[in-house]
Amino acid sequence: MSDAPTTDGEQSGALAGVREDLAGLDGYRVALYAAVLGLTAFYLTPIESGLVTAFKTNPEGVSSTLPFAPPPGEFFTLEKWETAVQALGRGMVNSALYAVPATVISALLGSFAAYGLTQADWRARYKAPILAMFVAAIFIPYQAVLVPLSQFWGSVPLAEVLTPLWVAGVPRAYTGVIELIVTHVAYGIPICMVLFRGYYTTVSEEMIEAARLDGATFARVYRRIVFPISTPMFAVVLIYQFTQIWNDLLFALILVSTESSPAAPVVLILAGLGESQEGQDFALRMAGAFVAALPTLIVYVLFGDEFAEGVAS
Amino acid sequence: MARLELDDVRKVFTDDDGSDIVAVDDVSVDIADGEFLVLVGPSGCGKSTTLRMIAGLESVSGGDIRLGGRSIVNKKPQNRDIAMVFQSYALYPHMTTRQNMSFGLEESTDLSDEEIAERVENAADLLSIPELLDRKPGELSGGQQQRVALGRAIVREPEVFLMDEPLSNLDAKLRSQMRTELQRIQEDLDTTTVYVTHDQTEAMTMGDRIAVLDGGELQQAGTPLECYHRPANRFVAGFIGEPSMNFFDMDVEGDRLVGDRFEYALTDEQATAVANAGTVTLGIRPEDIAVTVGSEATADNEFPTVVDVVEPMGNENAVYLGFEADPTNPFVATVGGMRQLDADERVVARFPADAIHLFDGATGEALHNRALDEGAEVEPRV
Amino acid sequence: MRDILSSTRTRLRRALRGGDSDDDAVTDDGRVATDGGTAAGGAAGAAGTGGLLDRLDERIGEDFTESAVFWLPPFLLMGLFVYGAIAWNFVISLTDYQGFVGPDYSDLDFEMYVRAANDAGVIEATVNTFLLVVSFTAVALAFGLVLAILVDRDIRFENTFRTIYLLPMSLSFVVTAQFWLWMYNFNNGVVNILLGTVGIGPINWIGNSQIVLWAVVFALVWQFSGYTMVVYLAGLRAIPREHFEAARVDGASTLKMYWRVIVPQLKGSTISAAIVLMVFALKAFDFLYSLVSGYRPPNGTDILATKMVREAYSVNNWAYASAIAIILFLMALSIIGPYLYYQYSKGEL
Repeated sequence: MSDAPTTDGEQSGALAGVREDLAGLDGYRVALYAAVLGLTAFYLTPIESGLVTAFKTNPEGVSSTLPFAPPPGEFFTLEKWETAVQALGRGMVNSALYAVPATVISALLGSFAAYGLTQADWRARYKAPILAMFVAAIFIPYQAVLVPLSQFWGSVPLAEVLTPLWVAGVPRAYTGVIELIVTHVAYGIPICMVLFRGYYTTVSEEMIEAARLDGATFARVYRRIVFPISTPMFAVVLIYQFTQIWNDLLFALILVSTESSPAAPVVLILAGLGESQEGQDFALRMAGAFVAALPTLIVYVLFGDEFAEGVAS
Repeated sequence: MARLELDDVRKVFTDDDGSDIVAVDDVSVDIADGEFLVLVGPSGCGKSTTLRMIAGLESVSGGDIRLGGRSIVNKKPQNRDIAMVFQSYALYPHMTTRQNMSFGLEESTDLSDEEIAERVENAADLLSIPELLDRKPGELSGGQQQRVALGRAIVREPEVFLMDEPLSNLDAKLRSQMRTELQRIQEDLDTTTVYVTHDQTEAMTMGDRIAVLDGGELQQAGTPLECYHRPANRFVAGFIGEPSMNFFDMDVEGDRLVGDRFEYALTDEQATAVANAGTVTLGIRPEDIAVTVGSEATADNEFPTVVDVVEPMGNENAVYLGFEADPTNPFVATVGGMRQLDADERVVARFPADAIHLFDGATGEALHNRALDEGAEVEPRV
Repeated sequence: MRDILSSTRTRLRRALRGGDSDDDAVTDDGRVATDGGTAAGGAAGAAGTGGLLDRLDERIGEDFTESAVFWLPPFLLMGLFVYGAIAWNFVISLTDYQGFVGPDYSDLDFEMYVRAANDAGVIEATVNTFLLVVSFTAVALAFGLVLAILVDRDIRFENTFRTIYLLPMSLSFVVTAQFWLWMYNFNNGVVNILLGTVGIGPINWIGNSQIVLWAVVFALVWQFSGYTMVVYLAGLRAIPREHFEAARVDGASTLKMYWRVIVPQLKGSTISAAIVLMVFALKAFDFLYSLVSGYRPPNGTDILATKMVREAYSVNNWAYASAIAIILFLMALSIIGPYLYYQYSKGEL
């Protein structure tokens, strides 16, 4: 809204001022919506351009049409999607194999830790350093732990422990999946803990005390009171954590290392998709990107609010 | 038998910087079986801390708490056989009323499901909330939640009820209704009850006895009328009663009290009581001040005054009076609701000799309390 | 241990004196025994009978041992993988570990740090990391604030717009790298085609080492400004409506109102958003790796994160990579440390 127009004090002048103000208001709303819509275009263009390109033939369709225009009939093809699904299918399964358990376990452990550190009655003086370590762990660049992580998993005789699996016909490369579960849980705990802690500090202290007086032990209070009322927060944490783990490339790269491995996660395969001697197949890359992003996109569309809440806190 | 004894109970909080805050300072109260004791005092006086120590939610820094003769200070809250009603009700939001009320029995007893259901339904009947049993707290009004919170305590059939300002979240009308109901239930169940409030109306009307706390120290424990008519000290006298007792700081000069604005003639008995004190505080309740229209003081202890403000309350008027000589710091008197007094009107106020209280100027301790007619105690004004 | 002993001593002494505990609650070393429900008289006897766990509870707080079941296992797992690994990483950085033979822990020195200080590649990566972190954070903050203010102005379909702006945040770096590789494509990319309509370009965004870093920053801003918006929006919503109205009544123009009344109140949001953005920027490895699907990012975009991974997993210079990782860690620490202290001083830890 612009500055209030100055009036000369006469009745007609005041009226004109009001009218002017209204006109200014309209102009302001128009500009506002123009800005909002322009930004929408900005955010959607890369995605839209990718989507239409994924339906084009390569290289003819890709190079002879505008990148954001839908494919005309002669260049339209579903072939890239078929190839992408074929290439990424096993990766999707592999990703789900570690992302789902790692998400659930890290959320549970995060909730445990947050409960033990918020509702328990012990001195803040001793709690603070432990909390600080949890919070700081969220911000650690993973590069600082990569070499020891490789060393650690190299020295743990995980493959021997899991021998029954290999006997049952599971490819040995799946040790990588187990390693990814443990790794993602360990590094996921801090953020889950902090998210839950934010929620648990708002839980009425009197209610917990009431439950303790009702005869419930610390563990029973969690089981019967705190866990059931955490359901909304679990939704937030599970959604956020699943997105993070599914999307992460670094640990997959370090622990599984090659996209040709039978246990390769989808992001690892996608990173190398569409590269060939003849050049980059952008149509295939785009189709692959959408296939790989599908689970997180579905989660986001269905639970956008929970996701927003997760990132905001 | 559940007699609850607090014996020199003390609570010291230590700040992170190492300094100590004494929240409860050697409080001793003996609560008989089935007695309804109200802990009352201004906020921060330590009443809630005392209650929480009885519940086991705060550790005890010193002294002992005995229930039925046995010390409970080293017992966990859940093993103390105590039920508590919280200010916020603290209902479990994801459980129905029935589940809320069953929870404690499930967690702390070996009762069968049928027995639990029976107890819950009996309690619901007692509180007239059987129709609410399958609703969740979110669907209940404040008053209904209050009843559920009470019900949750009742089904436990504990030795002691602890109540932490349970009515303070209700609106005025509901509060007075629940007040009566709570008393009825407590009488029916005959369970020892400790009730914390900052509201002296609740203290006066509900308690068999009240214990007045200030600054962590017990000021007086006695029946409501004792505390009203025979306050142990100036704090109790000022805290109990609404509008508050008027206080005037005076010097003792033989059988007269001399103040900045007026002098007061003492009876022989009163003069003896204050003989050893240099300064005293004269206290008189607003309803004991006799107000007559006119400007001439004709007898001792009558003072010409000017009406400052009149607050009509329907059944009575609170009249703020300033001394004619020095109208600052007016004192308050109450007169019948039908009496018409106007601001700036000149009236004579009389402080009857048998109605005044005298407190030691240095310690605040009561040196002399008002005279009471044998068997004709006036109803307390609250 | 000394503490436990001294408080037990106090307790015994108090028990001997009976109920008279007026001023001896304060022990001779100035501490106060408020813990554990100790009491004079009848209560004191119980104190001696407890085990070590009870005494721990008395010392630290009532629920300490009971709650340890909940927080200790996650804490140990996290602590081992995060802090244990960082410590181990530091030790490795002091060795000469490279190739396929395990590290030799008997010969520790700072050689790798000296080498890093003299490595033009590391210096370039440090400069790039710094440029990336600072420019990305600043632009994403500014952009997010504008978005938040726009969305907060009572527009219709607010939720839809918010969802769209935040959408890129839900995508993997690997996915967004594909999109932007296509956006920046020299011949057919949207960016060059749009610029072409106004007569600029075409520009080789990825190939030109002078501008590729800014192209990456732009893409990252696209991906994360939605996050900043959400944080600012929460901050704006926390400001009482009266402040907007009071400023309006005072006759401030909209722009002035935001600048002088609203933005200063968003300090907390800005700080927390900035911290998270900086950490995202330090983790931009995934994006750069995916641009080229290899350890060697486009010329001009090598940051410490990519350099470290390349040294370790491409050429097996493990000790050297660990040293670079420590440098990166210290950079992160210099951001998080003050932030944690700030949080702590606000009493939020």
